[in-house]
Amino acid sequence: MAGLLDKRLWVVSGKGGVGKSTVAAALALRSARAGRRTLVCEVNTQERISRFLEHPAAGPEVKLLEENLWAVDVRPQEAMREYGLMVLRFEALYKTVFENRLVRYFLRFIPSLQELVLLGKIMYHLQEKLPDGRWRFDTIVLDAPATGHAISFLSVPQVLVQTVPQGPMSREAQKMRDLLVDPAVTAAVLVALPEEMPVNEALELHAALKDKVHIRTHAAVLNQAIPERFTEADLEALAGHPELHRVAQANHDRASLTVLAGTKLERNLHAPVFNVPRLYLPTFGRDAIEQVMGHLEALVMGDK
Amino acid sequence: MSTTALGPALAKKRVLICVGSGGVGKTTVAATLGLRAAVDGRDSLVCTIDPAKRLANSLGLSALGNAETQVPASALEPLGVTARASLHAMMLDMKQTWDDLITRVAPPDQRERILANRFYQSLSTALAGSQEYIAMEKVWELRRKGEYELVVLDTPPTAHALDFLDAPNRVLDFLDNEAAKWLLAPALKAGKLGMSLFNRSGYVLRALSKFTGTEMLQELSSFMLSLSGMNEGFRERARGVRALLEDASTGFVLVTSPHPERMDEAIHFSTLLKQHRMEVVALVVNRVHPLPTEAMWQDAATLTPTRRAKVEETLRELQVLAEQDGRGIAQLQAACPGIPLIQVPRFGLDVHDITSLWQTGRFLLGDDTF
Ligand SMILES: Nc1ncnc2c1ncn2[C@@H]1O[C@H](COP(=O)(O)OP(=O)(O)OP(=O)(O)O)[C@@H](O)[C@H]1O
Ligand SMILES: Nc1ncnc2c1ncn2[C@@H]1O[C@H](COP(=O)(O)OP(=O)(O)OP(=O)(O)O)[C@@H](O)[C@H]1O
Ligand SMILES: [Mg+2]
Ligand SMILES: [Mg+2]
Repeated sequence: MAGLLDKRLWVVSGKGGVGKSTVAAALALRSARAGRRTLVCEVNTQERISRFLEHPAAGPEVKLLEENLWAVDVRPQEAMREYGLMVLRFEALYKTVFENRLVRYFLRFIPSLQELVLLGKIMYHLQEKLPDGRWRFDTIVLDAPATGHAISFLSVPQVLVQTVPQGPMSREAQKMRDLLVDPAVTAAVLVALPEEMPVNEALELHAALKDKVHIRTHAAVLNQAIPERFTEADLEALAGHPELHRVAQANHDRASLTVLAGTKLERNLHAPVFNVPRLYLPTFGRDAIEQVMGHLEALVMGDK
Repeated sequence: MSTTALGPALAKKRVLICVGSGGVGKTTVAATLGLRAAVDGRDSLVCTIDPAKRLANSLGLSALGNAETQVPASALEPLGVTARASLHAMMLDMKQTWDDLITRVAPPDQRERILANRFYQSLSTALAGSQEYIAMEKVWELRRKGEYELVVLDTPPTAHALDFLDAPNRVLDFLDNEAAKWLLAPALKAGKLGMSLFNRSGYVLRALSKFTGTEMLQELSSFMLSLSGMNEGFRERARGVRALLEDASTGFVLVTSPHPERMDEAIHFSTLLKQHRMEVVALVVNRVHPLPTEAMWQDAATLTPTRRAKVEETLRELQVLAEQDGRGIAQLQAACPGIPLIQVPRFGLDVHDITSLWQTGRFLLGDDTF
């Protein structure tokens, strides 16, 4: 299998709470370690990635976290301002128009404008060049919103192209869509847990990305996987210890669910599945991300 | 019998709203509360937004739709109890509910135009808080009809707590189209946008149209005008929804995971609820890992070496998780003084049948603790 390093935009999504930010942080760190200038983007949320990596919060402006690794939390107000300045070109004009209370009110109701500027900022950085002509960022890792929101977020360019009258918004949307759907540029990584709903959501997400957004699923990550530990014989032997039996049985059940979930993902996504085991650490920080990264080595670097 | 704050709430409240971040157990808690209230003698409706079929199945229904369906008595058989009142369940179809609302409040000659307008589509699907709003509007409607003694509302995973609490205000805001009039009136009069650069609003408009294109602005303005006919009906309802949220007979059940890293969201949510003068009946900490007991460690020491090693490894893992949860819960308690905190353990498997809903209920109501 080819590694993610061949692509420039890595989109990470899945059900809420499954470990999207964890996986995005690990992937971004690996990319940076491979010598790629890497930007990891969170979208208008409580920032987690900088915290996982034990750096101060990045905030709404691109910030260097460590060698080759930048982060940003893309927020609507700031993104709108940058976009506004780009279109209107003059700060003073921007202020008159965009800092008008009524205009602000009005902009909120223009369909998908907010998503468009959020995504627009990310796409802008994807095309940004250094003075010597190289990409400013070789890799952009997008820690996308959870399933439903991710689908509507990533479909915005497509939807706008179809519905909005010809004009500046639809032209922007068209450009973005072309990059998003280019399989040489963009790849999705879907994250799930070994539980029914998160797996189902990953399948839904896969279908929607494929059919509506036209983004390919590169791989799935089965996070918090539980490896087999207790054999049937172990469980039988524990029959006389009811409390221990319960604990062992629960562990065994979760291990079976892990196998089931892995199979279901592989069959339906036609993409490789990488297991990241559940970690037992007092705090979930840099050490955890480094460990997760270790399990995603082949996903990033490809098979040797 | 109940020893937790949810006992009196189930007995007296008319509306309970389960809120919290994605995946914490809102739907599970909502279904459990409805079930328990019906068994204890109040006609209840669980209004969920979760398309998961297993929830329907666990209530003995083949599917849940936008209509209220009675849960058959046979569904409760495995529990060995009979409900003293009826339990109904429904799954809210957001789009359908918005359409119903428009049909109800729009002047007949405007309906079709509104429903087909793309700005309406974005209001009903994309506007932050519109899903939350329509869910609450539905409850308001149900509450007004008064067929149920208790309505339990399950809410969508909310990325931003404020989207939820602010929803009625945003909808009111949307209707308050003073801004639209101010911006668009001259243009409408002239039949064209941006006629005059000397006119202040014309100037702003021209700049704005650089973003959106003029056609978009024209469409938006005509949509706003077509809405004006239903403003009063809409406005009255939005005010009703807001009042319902603050009503003494309405309570919020804030569901959270015990994980210390996720605590900030729950704390933020509870602070906002307080600021909005909405009552949090209970903070449900769901999926708590219990600490392995001393007896378990002693018992493990009697096993053969390989089994002992496996079991002790598992107990050590559980210990790490339990200690993590303990820290999270302590943080939560400190940040939300005065709000009753109820713990539900993490079960071996998902909560997907009536028996496990019932078991969840025993913890919610304090029949079981750990
Ligand atoms: N492999 C793992 N082992 C143990 N804990 C994990 C693992 N992966 C993630 N976690 C825990 O799960 C929590 C949630 O992970 P994360 O924030 O990455 O999820 P998310 O999908 O980004 O959530 P959200 O939908 O809220 O953005 C983390 O804070 C971490 O504590
Ligand atoms: N105490 C528990 N022990 C084990 N599993 C649980 C527990 N509570 C809930 N679950 C399981 O966790 C999953 C998520 O729960 P649920 O669907 O109720 O969450 P939710 O907050 O409604 O999620 P969403 O935000 O996606 O709507 C379900 O599969 C449910 O069965
Ligand atoms: Mg995240
Ligand atoms: Mg739910």
